Amino acid sequence: MACRLCERQAADDFCRYHGDAKARVESAYSSWSEAYGSMSWADYLEAVVKNVETGEWAAEVAGMMLSEARAQNRP
Amino acid sequence: MADDVSSGYTLVVCEKPDAARRVADALSDGAPSSAMIEGVQTFRFRRGAEELVVCAAQGHVYAVSDPFAERSVYPVFDVEWYDYGLVEKEAMGAARRIASIKKLAGGATKFVNACDYDVEGETIGFNILRYACGGKESEARRAKFSTLTKDELLEAFRAAEVPPSHGMADAGRTRHLVDFVWGVNLSRALSQSAVGSGHRYRTVSVGRVQGPTLGFVVEREGEIRSFVPRPYWTVRGIFEKDGERLLAAYSKDRLGRKTDAEKVKAECSGREGTVSSVVKSVSEVMPPAPFNIGDLQKEAYRAFGYSPSRTMQIAERLYLDVLISYPRTSSQRLPPSIDCRKIMRGLASSKEYSMHAERLLAGSLRPAQGVKDDPAHPAIHPTGEKPRRPLGAQEARLYDLVVKRFLSTFAPPAKRENVSVDVSLNGHLFKLGGRRTVYQGWLEYYAPYSKSADVDIPRISEGDRLRVLAVDVEEKFESKPPRYNQSSLLEKMELEGIGTKATRADMIATLVDRGYMAGESLTASELGFSVVETMKLYAPEIISTGLTRSVEERLEKIEEGTESQKELVRETVRSISNQLIMLNQNEEQVGREIDFAVSASVADRYVIGACPVCKTGKLRIIRSKKTGKRFVGCTNYPSGCRASAPLPQRGTVKVTQKSCQHCSWPVVYVIAGRAPWRLCVNPNCPSKAGKKRGV
Repeated sequence: MACRLCERQAADDFCRYHGDAKARVESAYSSWSEAYGSMSWADYLEAVVKNVETGEWAAEVAGMMLSEARAQNRP
Repeated sequence: MADDVSSGYTLVVCEKPDAARRVADALSDGAPSSAMIEGVQTFRFRRGAEELVVCAAQGHVYAVSDPFAERSVYPVFDVEWYDYGLVEKEAMGAARRIASIKKLAGGATKFVNACDYDVEGETIGFNILRYACGGKESEARRAKFSTLTKDELLEAFRAAEVPPSHGMADAGRTRHLVDFVWGVNLSRALSQSAVGSGHRYRTVSVGRVQGPTLGFVVEREGEIRSFVPRPYWTVRGIFEKDGERLLAAYSKDRLGRKTDAEKVKAECSGREGTVSSVVKSVSEVMPPAPFNIGDLQKEAYRAFGYSPSRTMQIAERLYLDVLISYPRTSSQRLPPSIDCRKIMRGLASSKEYSMHAERLLAGSLRPAQGVKDDPAHPAIHPTGEKPRRPLGAQEARLYDLVVKRFLSTFAPPAKRENVSVDVSLNGHLFKLGGRRTVYQGWLEYYAPYSKSADVDIPRISEGDRLRVLAVDVEEKFESKPPRYNQSSLLEKMELEGIGTKATRADMIATLVDRGYMAGESLTASELGFSVVETMKLYAPEIISTGLTRSVEERLEKIEEGTESQKELVRETVRSISNQLIMLNQNEEQVGREIDFAVSASVADRYVIGACPVCKTGKLRIIRSKKTGKRFVGCTNYPSGCRASAPLPQRGTVKVTQKSCQHCSWPVVYVIAGRAPWRLCVNPNCPSKAGKKRGV
C-alpha cells in the first residue's frame, strides 16, 4: 500500500520517512507544552506547521494531524 | 618530421602532454625537437651521450572493463584492462596515444616512468610500460618529482632507479578492478530490476565509494526533513556606563521555559548591575600549516566558492605551469629538502609578494608544520617561478591563496588580547567580552584570507556599577542541521576514510551529475533516497562506511606489500555475489522502488523550493500549455493555492535550494548571457519595492 502522504510504499499508514517524522512530531509535543507552560495539541500542531525550521515531512505529517484533530474537534 | 622513429634511445613516459614538454625542456642540452608520432606530439633530444624521447599519455589510457560491455549482462567477474578508447567513446584520443607509445617503444632500449608520483600516476605508468611497451614495467627506472622546475627534474632523472616493487601500482590497479566489479554489477542489477519487474529500463549507478558518500547526504536530508524544532529563549541585558551602551548575554545560553526567561527579565529590569570580575589575557594564534589538497579545497571553497573538483583542476593547471608543487598530496609539511629560501627569493622578485617575502628572508625560515604527512609529496607550495603566461582570474586567485598560505606559515604567531567580564545583577549573571588583535603576525601575510575576529573591548573595571537600560527576551527555535556543501562533504569523506585525496572531489561531482543530489547546499533527490534505501535493504554493504574503509585499509597494505591483491579481489567477488542474490530475490520490489524514484527525480528537477503561501506545497517550474511560457506555480494548485510568479523566458533557470532573506520565497540562479544572476522569484518581494518605484 502507498503512504498517506506520498506515493512511497508503506507497511502501515505511512512510509518509513513520514512514519519517522510522525514519531518526532508526537514526541516533541511534551517539550513544547512544558516550554510554554501548557499548550493544546491543535495549537502545537499549528505552530509546528507554520514554523520555518520544521522539516518538510514533519510539516506534512503535522498538517495532516491538524486536519484530523480539527475534524474530531480535539483541542 | 612525422612518424620517423629510429632506435637506441631512452623512452620517457609522462602522464600529460604539458608535463612531457616541461621534462624535455629541463633535460635537453639544447632545444628539444618536436615530432608527431601517430598524430601525437613527442620530444627528442640529446643529454650528454644519451638520446631521449619523451612521450605523453593523457591521464589513463587503459581502463578496466568486461568483455561483454552489455548493460543487461551480470554478474561480471571476468574483467581485464583494455585500451581506454574501446571502453569510453569520449576517450578516442587514448587509442592514438597508445599507438604512438607502442611505435616509440619498439625502438627504445631503456625506459623511464615519469608519470605523477602517486597511486594513479603509478597505475598509468605501469599499464603503459606493461601493455604499450611490451612488459617493460620491471626494468623501467622511476623519476620522482614534486615540482616541474628544471632543478628538480634534473635531480629526479639523475637519481632515477628501477624500483624494488610496484606496491603503489598494485594498489592502484586493484582499486580500479575492485571498484569496477562493484560498480558494474550493482548498477546493472539495479537498472535491470526495473525491466525485470515490468517497468521501463532505468539507468541507475552505484559504486563502492559513491554508496556511503551518498548515504551521508541522504541521512542528513532525512534528519532535516523530519526535523521538529523545539522552542527556547535567550535573554540579553542592555547596560549603560558613562553614556556607553554595553550588550551582555545571560549566563545561560538557552532557557527552555518561557516563564524562566520572563522571571529573569522581571527580576533584572530597572536595576543596577555590578561588574563582579574582569579577566584579561593575551593569547597567541599560531600560523596555519601549509596546504594539503583537502585543506586547499576547503579554503578555496570558503574564500572563493570553488567546488573541490574545480580547485583540483586549477591546481593541476598551476602545477603543469611550474607555479606550484604537485597538488594531490596529503602532506601538511614542508621538509628540509625543499629550498624554501630559494622559493622565497623567487617570490621576493614579484611585486605582489616582495614586501612580505623580503621581510621573511631577513630571518631564519622555519615553517609551521601540520600533523599529516605523505611519503610521496610535500605540502602544496609555490615554486617561486614567475607565470609564463597571463593567468586567468580563477588561476590567479588560487595561486595567490597558495602563495599567501606559504608565506604565512613562516610568519610569527599573531597575538590577541581577550577580556571577559561578569556582571552580577540581583542573583543573576550576565557576561560580556571582547578581543582585539594586538600583534598581526601571520594574519597580515595571509590577508585577505585571514578572518578578523575582533570584538570591541568594553572599558570597565571590577566594581563598576552598570545601569540596566533594558532586558530583552527573545523566543527562538532550534535550527535544522545544515546540509552538506561540497566542502563539508569532502571533509566528512576524509574523516570517515572514504575515497582518496585524488578521487573525493570527482566522486562528489559524479553524484551531482547523476542526479542523486543537487544545489549548493547538497540536497538528496528522490532518486538518491531510493538508491540508498534500496541498498540498505538488499545490499547493505555497499553503503556501509565499514566496507569502504576496510577496502581502503587493505589497499594501503597492498601498497606496502603486506597483503595480496588476489585475496581482496576474491573477497570482493564473494561479497558482491551475496548482494546480487539478495537483489535478484527481491527484484520486483527493487524495480518498483527504482521506477518510482526515477520518475519522481525527473519531477524533482523542476521544484525550486517550498511554497511560502500554503506552507505545504512546493513551488515548481511549469510551462504553460497555452502560451508555451514558463512560470512558477504551487503543487497545491488543485487544492486552492494560487501562489505563482513569472520567470525570465530566456536562459537557464537553476535551482539553488535557498530562500530569499526578505520574503522567504525561493531564489533561483538565471544563466543567460555572460552575467548570471540570482533572482528571488517573488514579484512582490520587499527587496524589489524600491526598484519598482524607480528609487
